Formats: sequence, structure tokens, C-alpha cells
Amino acid sequence: MNAQVSLTVSDLQGWYGESKALHGMTFEVGAGEVVTLLGRNGAGKTTTLRAIMGLLRKKKGEIRFDGEDVAGRMPEYIARRGIAYCPEERGIFASLTVEENLFLPPVIAQGGMALEDIYALFPNIAERRNSQGTKLSGGEQQMLAIARILRTGANLLLLDEPTEGLAPVIVQQIGAVIRKLKERGFTVLLVEQNFRFASKLADRHYVVEHGRVIDTLTAADVAGNLDRIQSYLKV
Amino acid sequence: MMAFLGISPQLLFGQLLIGLINGVFYAMMSLGVAIIFGMLRIGNFVHGAQYMLGAFGAWYLLHLPDLFPGLGLPSLGYWWALALVPVAVGLIGAFMERVFIRRVYELEHAYGLLLTVGLTMVIEGLFNVGYGAAGQRYDIPATLKGGVNLGFMFLPYYRLWVIAAGLFVCALTWYIVERTKLGAYLRAATENPNLVRAFGINVPRMLMLTYAFGVGLAGLAGVMAAPIYQVSPQMGQSIIITIFAVVVIGGMGSISGAIFTGLMLGMIEGLTKVFWPQASTTVIFVIMVLVLILRPAGLFGKETASVHAANISMARPNSFLENGRLWLPILSGVGVVLPFLVYPVFGMKIMCFALFACAYNLIFGYVGLLAFGHAAFFGSSAYIAAFTAASWGFPPEFAVLSGMTVATVMGAVFGWLAIRRQGLYFAMITLALAQLVYFYALQAPWTHGEDGIQSVPRGYLFGFIDLEDTMNMYYFVLAVFLIGFAAIYRIGRSPFGQILKSIRENELRAISLGYSTDRFKLLAFTLSAMFAGLAGATKAIVFQIASLADLYFTTSADALLMTLIGGVGTLLGPIVGAIVVVAMQKEFATLGAWVVVVQGAAFVLCVLFLRKGVVGTFEDWLATRSESKRNAAGYTADLAAKGAE
Ligand SMILES: Nc1ncnc2c1ncn2[C@@H]1O[C@H](COP(=O)(O)OP(=O)(O)O)[C@@H](O)[C@H]1O
Ligand SMILES: [Mg+2]
Repeated sequence: MNAQVSLTVSDLQGWYGESKALHGMTFEVGAGEVVTLLGRNGAGKTTTLRAIMGLLRKKKGEIRFDGEDVAGRMPEYIARRGIAYCPEERGIFASLTVEENLFLPPVIAQGGMALEDIYALFPNIAERRNSQGTKLSGGEQQMLAIARILRTGANLLLLDEPTEGLAPVIVQQIGAVIRKLKERGFTVLLVEQNFRFASKLADRHYVVEHGRVIDTLTAADVAGNLDRIQSYLKV
Repeated sequence: MMAFLGISPQLLFGQLLIGLINGVFYAMMSLGVAIIFGMLRIGNFVHGAQYMLGAFGAWYLLHLPDLFPGLGLPSLGYWWALALVPVAVGLIGAFMERVFIRRVYELEHAYGLLLTVGLTMVIEGLFNVGYGAAGQRYDIPATLKGGVNLGFMFLPYYRLWVIAAGLFVCALTWYIVERTKLGAYLRAATENPNLVRAFGINVPRMLMLTYAFGVGLAGLAGVMAAPIYQVSPQMGQSIIITIFAVVVIGGMGSISGAIFTGLMLGMIEGLTKVFWPQASTTVIFVIMVLVLILRPAGLFGKETASVHAANISMARPNSFLENGRLWLPILSGVGVVLPFLVYPVFGMKIMCFALFACAYNLIFGYVGLLAFGHAAFFGSSAYIAAFTAASWGFPPEFAVLSGMTVATVMGAVFGWLAIRRQGLYFAMITLALAQLVYFYALQAPWTHGEDGIQSVPRGYLFGFIDLEDTMNMYYFVLAVFLIGFAAIYRIGRSPFGQILKSIRENELRAISLGYSTDRFKLLAFTLSAMFAGLAGATKAIVFQIASLADLYFTTSADALLMTLIGGVGTLLGPIVGAIVVVAMQKEFATLGAWVVVVQGAAFVLCVLFLRKGVVGTFEDWLATRSESKRNAAGYTADLAAKGAE
């Protein structure tokens, strides 16, 4: 077993009721890497993250995290093994204050970020800690959604389209945050449609279409293949 | 002190105190119901029975030496009960969640409600078998005997204690839910349980503990109530419907809202006892009506979405089982010969209840709305028919028409009120409105209270057909039943029925197609009430009686049970269900008090194991059989084609 691999997904298939959404996803994330899943709307990126988290009921295939097959485990188990999830819709709780949202995910291992570091990374959140969670702006909610999974000691972060619908300035801030997370040794599986954003961050890209990986590029491949990538993402 | 409006201060403050105490119990109970509903999406009808368990638990502890002589157990008094019983009742709750309630989380609200109604009937039925209607005395603990004279009134210490302790428990619950880490988990899981799980929190266990906690609160309320009210198997039965009304009034917005609403309604009820005693049992339901008109989401509510029809129909549209043109003649034929095979009275009872179930199926199966108060239409119509026939000498056809008319009007009004809220609230509102009618009938002079209207003359149909003759009566009922059945079938097949179907399948789409779905729902509800009224009025003429049982919530539950046993949304299901239920009631009539237990168990078993109902299960079997036949035919055809090559 290669100790450098954090997550391996092999031939993952998944269904919503009768309709199949994943047709054999296969990819791998090395420890400390930032890896993206790129692809159009409806390609199956979110479904893949939900399957990894144990939130997709009906699935087949293998999901190995730190060497353990976690497919078929309950979400609470998978989270406690060290995977943290930031959903596409952000999932900020309206009935909780900003601070309660931040402290909601329980600490599952040592080595999570200290509160001061988090507040240093997200100064807005510190300022508004007593507001209702959903009173924050879209960008702030996204920051909060990322911030709250950094405390827990989870090592693998699943981030689902963190830049969706946000202003360019905010997108840049989020880029900076992800870069800092990489420096701190987090492993990140990033789902994106915004390739310009992703290309500056990731070590590797998997292009997803119709529920399977159709192409793989390393950061070094990107420069020479811009046209090809654009064609994958064009609507 | 001076008398105020001719009311003595002793009376005024005395009733206010009683109201405040009731309010404390309402607050504690509705808190539990609201938390459970928020987290588990279960309308915990069994909350009243769990409250009763608390009171009996205290009583048992006190009588341990008598209950288990020879074991040398001590008699444990009030303070022991206060500590032990809520925990024990909470554990029973945890057990019930684990074994029963957990199985219906993913299903429609209807099943959760039915399941808890069934559990209620089993628990209350068992205690009824053991203790009957008589209440057991439970003395005020020695330390809290006596009281203090405030000059204008005497304040017993025990009541003071109940108010203080109850308010403290409410405040503590508020603090836990709103201000602690555990409460944050609860609130978050109420909004998005899956995400909370994905953070590593064991939400299923949390649901069980939440249920146990809510139930434990009911148990605690039961212990505290034991010295004030009598400890009796019935003590939880009516309080639960009031609690549902309290939850509807308060709305699901906030814990403090539930507490405040409970206290306030208790006080208002107390004041009503002073100024207008007759209205005191109904005032909470009247307030509910006002709140629904003025502030549909409830005083503290936030819920806004208006989409709530659910598709739980078990019918397969093209099956021969759904073909009314085929079944109407068959049913007519069977109906004609039936009185020569079974007792005509038995046949008439089945037809009345089958029509009632068909009417209920119109709203529950065809539109997907969980109505839980059809007893109001069935019973009111029965009372009107009985009254007009007995007191005004109406001939049977006019008596039935009068009953039906009243039921239709009531259906329009109740429907107009209830469609403002969705899902389980719809059920709670229709239930509370039916309870309002029940309390009215209990008190109004013309309904003769507990006796009901008896010895209703059957009279002469059209002036010359003597309905005292059993066969004449039978064929009249058969005609009524067939007309009702055919009409409901026609409604289902009409363009209107198609719109109802599209509402139940996808209400948002129906709205986007430009249908004002609320209007269609209201019309369907009114029609359903009308046919329920037809069934009730006919029943009153056949059995020559209209009684409170016709209006009680168990009659509404019967309609739901019959529809469910037969197969929701199917053409024949309600008839099959009515046959099963009426036959069961007849079969078990000799069991006396056990009937309720058996019927409750039937509810539970149906929800857990026979959700498709008899007809739905049969449909499934037919479908798989024709499927495998088709496959087999395809296979032989393939072989033949290969052979020809
Ligand atoms: N809750 C759901 N129920 C049914 N189908 C769904 C659901 N969520 C997503 N799908 C379908 O699954 C496919 C993949 O969706 P998704 O994983 O959300 O795509 P992406 O995140 O790449 O945009 C799409 O065809 C989508 O329509
Ligand atoms: Mg997505």
C-alpha cells in the first residue's frame, strides 16, 4: 500500500432511485495534494462527493481512504475517519449563530487548526460571530462553510464548487485560502466548473462527464492543452 | 376585594390558577410534541398516552407493596416518582422509537400519525382493560400539603410547586435547546440531518434520544398531574388533541413560542370558565380557527411553503381493478344477493362504512391530503339526519339530504381553514376542528349529550316505502351506496379528477401549469365531506341513532384504517377495508375492552407490514405475474425466431 495515497475511488457507480448518475468513477488523491474534479453541470461531481461521504444510498464500487474501504459506511463513521465535507449549497444553518455554525462539527482528531488561525484566515467571520448564520453574505457563508471544517482535525477536505456565484474578489480570497490549506498539509478534493480558478491551485485535474472520468491532466499538462480543456467545459 | 362584573375574586383567581396549571402542562407537553415533530417529523399522537404512563408510573411506585406482595418492596412516594418515572417513561419512548417509529421516518406523514395512533390505542386500551374508566386517587405529598391564604384566595402549596417546577423545566428545556452545544446539534439536525451526519454526529441515535427526552417530559408532566387530576387510562386521550391545537396555534418557529402559547392558552381557558363556562372546552379550538384565518403560519411560525399533497396512491391506472364500469355491475349483483347470505344489518353497516371510506379515499388517496377529522362530517350529518327525522318528522330522504347539506357546508369551511397549512399540520387542524364539533355535540341540548339521539324513526321513503321493513331498508342503503360509489368513480375519471391526480403527483408542476391547486383541493375536500355526510346520515337512519362515537376521533381513524387496509387510492380498497374492519369489530365485539387494543394493533401492523393494503398488494402480484409472463412470451418468441433462421 502506497502511504502517499489519501483517497482512491475505483469503478464507483451510483444511483438516485432508478436513475444512474455515476457510471464507474475512478481517480485518486495523494496525501497533501490538491486535486480537482472538473466538469459541466450534471456531470456527477456532487454525486461523487456525496458517495464518498456516505450520503448516497445506492452505490457500488470501492472507496479507499487511508487504506480502508469506507464504501458502505455511515456518514458519521466516514467523518470520524477524517474526511470533511463542504457542500455545494454551503449548508449554513439558519437556526444557529455564526459561532455555533463554526463550532458545530465535532473535533475528531488532533491537529485541527486553532481558532486564532481560523479567525486570522477569515477575519469577517470573527467580526460577525454572533449574527444568525444565514444573515451573512454569500461570500461570508462560503468562508464559514470552509472554516468550520478546518477545526476538526480532518485531513481530507471535500470542497464542492466553493466559488460558485461569488464575486471575483471573493474568488481570489478563497483561492488564497486553499493555497494556505495546502501549505498546512491538508489534502483537498476540489469540485469546480471554474477552470481558471482551479488551474492555479491544483496538482492534478480529472475531467468528469456523464458520471465517469474522461480525461486526466497534471498541472504541467495544462498550459499546452487549454483548448481541449475549454471544450470539455463549454456548455 | 370588590367583585368584578359580578364575579367573585375567589372564582376569578381560582380559575386563573387552574388555567395557569393547565397551561404549564400544555407548555410541557407541546414542547415535547414540537421538538419531536421538528426533529423526527413525526406527529406524536401517543404523547397523551405517554403522559398517562407517567401518572400511572407514580401510582405504581406508591403501590409497589400491593402490586408485588411478598417481595418486600417499599412504597415509593412522590419524590421518588418524580425522579424515576420520567426516566422510565423516556426509556419506554426510546424503545418505541427503536422498534416502531424509526421504521416510518422515510415515509409519508400519514404513516407516522397512524402508527402513533395505533400505539395510543394499544397502550390506552390495555390500561382500560386493567383499570376501566374509574380514576385512581393519588395523594398530594405530605411536604406539600396545605397552602397559603393570600387574602383574596387560598393558594395550595402543591399547585404553587407545580407551576414553579413546570416553568423551571420549560425554561431548562429552552436553555438546552437554544443555548447549549447539544441544542445546536438538535437545531442543525432539524434543518439538515444529513449534513450533521456528515460532520460525524450520530444523528439516528440523537433522534432516539430526542424522542426519549420529549416522551420523558410527558412522563414528568404525568407525575406532576397525578395528585391534581385523577390517574385514569383516559387522562391522555383528550389532552393530546388540545396539544396538537396548541402546536398549530404556536407554530413551529421557536421553543419559547411553544412555552408561551401553552401558558397563554391555559389561562385563556381558565378565564373562559369564569365568564362563559360552556365554551371553556372549545375555546382553544376557536382560537386556533382565528389564528389560522389571521396568521396561517401560527403565532411564532415560520413555515411558508404551500405544497403538501403526497402521492401515496397504490392504484395502477389501467388495471381491471380500477375499472368502475366493470365493478359497478358486479357490486350491484353482489349487493342484491348479499342479504340472503349474511345478516342484512351487517351488510348495511359494511355499505355505510364502505361509502365513508370511499369518501375519505377521495381526499386522502386521490389528492394526497392527510385529513384526520372526517368524523366531523360523518357524525354531524348523522346528528342532523337523526334530529330532522326524529324531531321535525322529515321523511328519510330529506333527513339524509339535510345531513349531507350540513356536512358539505362544514367541509367547505373546514377545508378552507385547513388548506392554509401543510402536511401533518393539515391533519392536526382537521383533527382539532373535528374535536371542536365533538365538544359542541357533547354540550348542546339538542344532541342529548352522552345519550345521543335515539329511536330515530326510519319512516317512509318517498312517502310509501316502509323502511321499518329490513329488506326495504337494505335496498335503500344499497342504492345510496352504489350512487355514492359511482359518483366518486366518475369524479376520479373526470377532467377534475385528472387535475387532482396531477396535484398529487407533482403539485409544483400543477401550479406552474396555471392551476390554482388550493381551489381544487378545497373542492375535493368539500365533495369528500359531502359523501362522508351521505354515509353518516344513512347510518343514522339504519341504526336509528346518532351518538358521540360518530364524532369521536376514532371514527376518523377508522376511515383512515379502512382506506389503508384496503389500499390507498384504489377503487376497491375502501370497500375491502370496510369489510375487514367491520367484520373485525363484529368478531372481536365479545372481547369488550380488548377491541381497542386489537384495533390499535391492526393499525400498527398495517403501517409496518401492509402499507400497500390488500388491493395494492394484489395489484403488485398481478403486475409481477404479467411481467414474468411477458418475459416468458418474449423468450419463446426469440427462440421461435432463432429456430426459423
Ligand atoms: N437528488 C437527486 N435526485 C435525482 N437525480 C439527481 C439528484 N441530484 C442529482 N441528480 C442527477 O444526477 C446527475 C449528476 O448530478 P450532480 O452530481 O449534481 O452533478 P454536478 O455536481 O456535476 O453538477 C444529474 O443528471 C442530476 O440530474
Ligand atoms: Mg454539483
